[in-house]
Parts: sequence; structure tokens; C-alpha cells
Amino acid sequence: MTINAMGGGAKYKGTQMREKQLSEMIEKKVTEAKQVCEGDETSDECKVAWDEVEKVSQAKADLRLRLEVEKKDPLEFFCLENPETEECKVYDD
Amino acid sequence: MAVCPVYTTQSLNSTCSISTPSKTHFSSHHNHLVFYRTSKRTSKRGGSSSCVITCSAGDSQTVVIGLAADSGCGKSTFMRRLTSVFGGAAEPPKGGNPDSNTLISDMTTVICLDDYHSLDRTGRKEKGVTALDPRANDFDLMYEQVKALKSGIAVDKPIYNHVSGLLDPPELIKPPKILVIEGLHPMFDERVRDLLDFSIYLDISNEVKFAWKIQRDMAERGHSLESIKASIEARKPDFDAFIDPQKQYADAVIEVLPTQLIPDDNEGKVLRVRLIMKEGVEHFSPVYLFDEGSTISWIPCGRKLTCSYPGIKFSYGPDTYFGREVSVLEMDGQFDRLDELIYVESHLSNLSTKFYGEVTQQMLKHADFPGSNNGTGLFQTIVGLKIRDLYEQITASKTAAPLQATKA
Repeated sequence: MTINAMGGGAKYKGTQMREKQLSEMIEKKVTEAKQVCEGDETSDECKVAWDEVEKVSQAKADLRLRLEVEKKDPLEFFCLENPETEECKVYDD
Repeated sequence: MAVCPVYTTQSLNSTCSISTPSKTHFSSHHNHLVFYRTSKRTSKRGGSSSCVITCSAGDSQTVVIGLAADSGCGKSTFMRRLTSVFGGAAEPPKGGNPDSNTLISDMTTVICLDDYHSLDRTGRKEKGVTALDPRANDFDLMYEQVKALKSGIAVDKPIYNHVSGLLDPPELIKPPKILVIEGLHPMFDERVRDLLDFSIYLDISNEVKFAWKIQRDMAERGHSLESIKASIEARKPDFDAFIDPQKQYADAVIEVLPTQLIPDDNEGKVLRVRLIMKEGVEHFSPVYLFDEGSTISWIPCGRKLTCSYPGIKFSYGPDTYFGREVSVLEMDGQFDRLDELIYVESHLSNLSTKFYGEVTQQMLKHADFPGSNNGTGLFQTIVGLKIRDLYEQITASKTAAPLQATKA
């Protein structure tokens, strides 16, 4: 299993999973939006599809900011209390 | 105005006390309103007389700040600067949902308004409604909960999970000293607007927005210049219809534009930032340069201060904004060195700093945050100090409120 360390600080498995999930969603939703908008660029569906891309892009950026600038894993406190869970497995770079 | 829970009690005499029901969110902020009927019927016009005693709790009300801008809660930088002014780091609620959007520090709690989405990702897709659309948001709940928190009552607030796109079970939010609501619609609903003690709108011009989103997204697989552009364009109609109009209500607008110092700068790295401050706002005295109410144009770089290209240019003056009197402080350019920053700070007035150099110190504390070398960081920091000042003024005036007892 390869661990892809994206930028600074994703300490817990759960956070790495979220990063990965968000990245994959961005890719998927951009593709979706392009497809949906092919028919009619001004349709509601097209608007919603690109809004989703924005929301997910921002969520990824927020997570990145937290990890790289603040150097804090959002799961820090959760994992202090629940160290046994799958999400809280720690990987060293 | 305080909202107080009301309890009935059998009889109240000098030895009686009111017992609180076990299931309430009581905090020291609570105001108690007591109605009682005197045994003696001093009926004036046939009714029984009643006395009203109102107690004002020492800790009083929560101060509520609204912060509006695009993209949900992406103003992390602003929030972090703001909470830093009050001291302490803002953390997600400990031990709760790890996907919580809330940030809590000693003095402040920051709520992300995405948590008031009435439609989740699937719901919005089904209804053909973007998150920008008011139809995707529960303003009744937003109003109820902000009102409750303002009055010192804790609330169970929903969580919008940005990863799953679902609404997660609620988290308990206790009333803080300062509540910040940030998101797309803090000033959209009139009832919520009326609860705000101060409001800020972050107004990013289209060119800068495009440049920032390129910086944000280009490293992501799936994104390209085209997709970034398409996303901005597709959201523009809803943004212009629902989000942008809120800026007329803001007490302070931070407007971010491309620089005028470099011809054809389309990288968005050097910025021209305008701090538009409404006049006549209670507890808020606008920052000024040199002479309040006059019009000033100032280039600090010269004999006393050497700046590197493209330098720094300030302007200040009165203006009108959506029919209201405002003062506008503008900075174009960037800080390269500490002494540039302190030099500028020493020439600004009404900063609400507690000591000389506090603005510079705050900026240096977060030198790695975006905007730390230009007007965005500077004005965000200044607004943070202004909010601290506003909070202290409001708190001081509340503790001075006397106990009142009126007899019918």
C-alpha cells in the first residue's frame, strides 16, 4: 500500500482518505459538469453541476490550508479519544 | 432584546426561589423574568396587579458578527486572523464530528452557514438549485439559532458535511462571547441582519477571483483553466442575484481588485484593496489617514522608506456607497519588509490598537497566511481590531445597565 503524502501534515488515515476522496470528487464532478452542460450551458442542471465543483474544490482547499498552513490534522481531537478506530491509524512519512 | 424562558411558580414569598427545570440549556448568560401577583388586590381597573422584575446577568449577551463572501467557509484566513486578535487558536469542537465546520476559541465561536443548508448535495441536484440560492438554505432555523445564541441559549446546530454532501446529526453550540457567522448568506435574511452587531462583506472582483481560483485549483487533477472559468461563469447569475446584493448592508466591505501599479497585471499577485467603512455605525469608528474626512493620496516610499517594485500607494477619503456615507481606505501594492509595515501603521489613525505596533505584530504572527504582504491581510487584521473594540464597548455598556423594578 502506498501512502501518498499530499503536502504537509495529514497524520491520520482518516484525513488522508478524505483528501483522496475530495480529489477524486473534483475530477469526477468536473467531468460530470462538462457532460451536463454540453446540452444547455444556461440550464439549472449545468449551474448546479459547476456549483458542486466549486463546493468540493473549496472543501479540498480548506483541508489543505488546515494541514499545510496550520499544520493541524482535523482528526486530532477525535483520534485522541478514539485511537483504536480505523480512521485514526497513524502513518509516518 | 433578551429572550427569556418563562416558568410558572406557585407562590413567591421572600424565602422562595425559582427552581430551574433539569432540561434546559442554562448558562450564566441567562436573564430571568419573573411575574408575580401580589396577594393584596390593589385592583385599579378590575385586573390584578403584577410586578415585573428584570435581572440583567453580568455576562450579558453574545456579540454577533456576520462575514459574507463566496464559497461557503473559505475565509479561513480571515477567521484565523480575527480569532487571533482575541488570543488563542480556533479549533474544531473537541471530540465531536470530525467533519464539523465550526471553530471555537476562548472568546469566539465561528459557525459556517453551510450548516443551514436545507438541501443536501442530492437535494440540490434534484431540485436544480445551487447552494447560492436561498431555496437551498433554512433561514428560519438560522434566525432562531442565532437569536438563541445571542440571548445566551445553547443550540443543537446541524452539520453540513462537505465530504459526504449530507447533513450530519447536530452538534451542541454553547453561546460564546463573540459569535461569528460566516458564509454565503449572513445578511440575506432581514431578521438575521438585525441580530448582527457588525457585518463584513468580502468583495472579490472577477479578475482576482479567477486568479485566486487558478492558484487554488490548478494543482488538482481534473481542473484546467477552462473548468475553473466555466465554474465561475456558471455560478455568476446566482451569485449576482443572491450574494452580491448583501454588500449594501455591510458595515465594512473589503473590496479586492487588481493592482493599478503594474500595467496589465493579470496574475493577481499584487492587489489593490479597499476598506469601505460605513459612517455612523454604533461602536465603530472608521480608520483614517492623516486627517479624518479629508481626501488623501499617499505614497510612503521615498526618502525615509525604500520600497521594492511595485511599491505601495495609499488613498483615503469620504464617499457614498449604495446611498450611504462611507470612508474608504485603500492600499495598492505589497509590503516586502517589516519596516514598511510599521511605517504604514504609524501613519494610520483610529486603528483601535492597544499598543503601538499591534497591527504589525498581528501581521507577523501570521506571516505564512495568504495576503500577509498586502491590503487583504492588513485590512482583515484592522477589522479584527475594530471588532475587538466594538465588543469591548458593547460589553462595557451592558454591565452598566442597572437592575430595574417597576411596580404597577
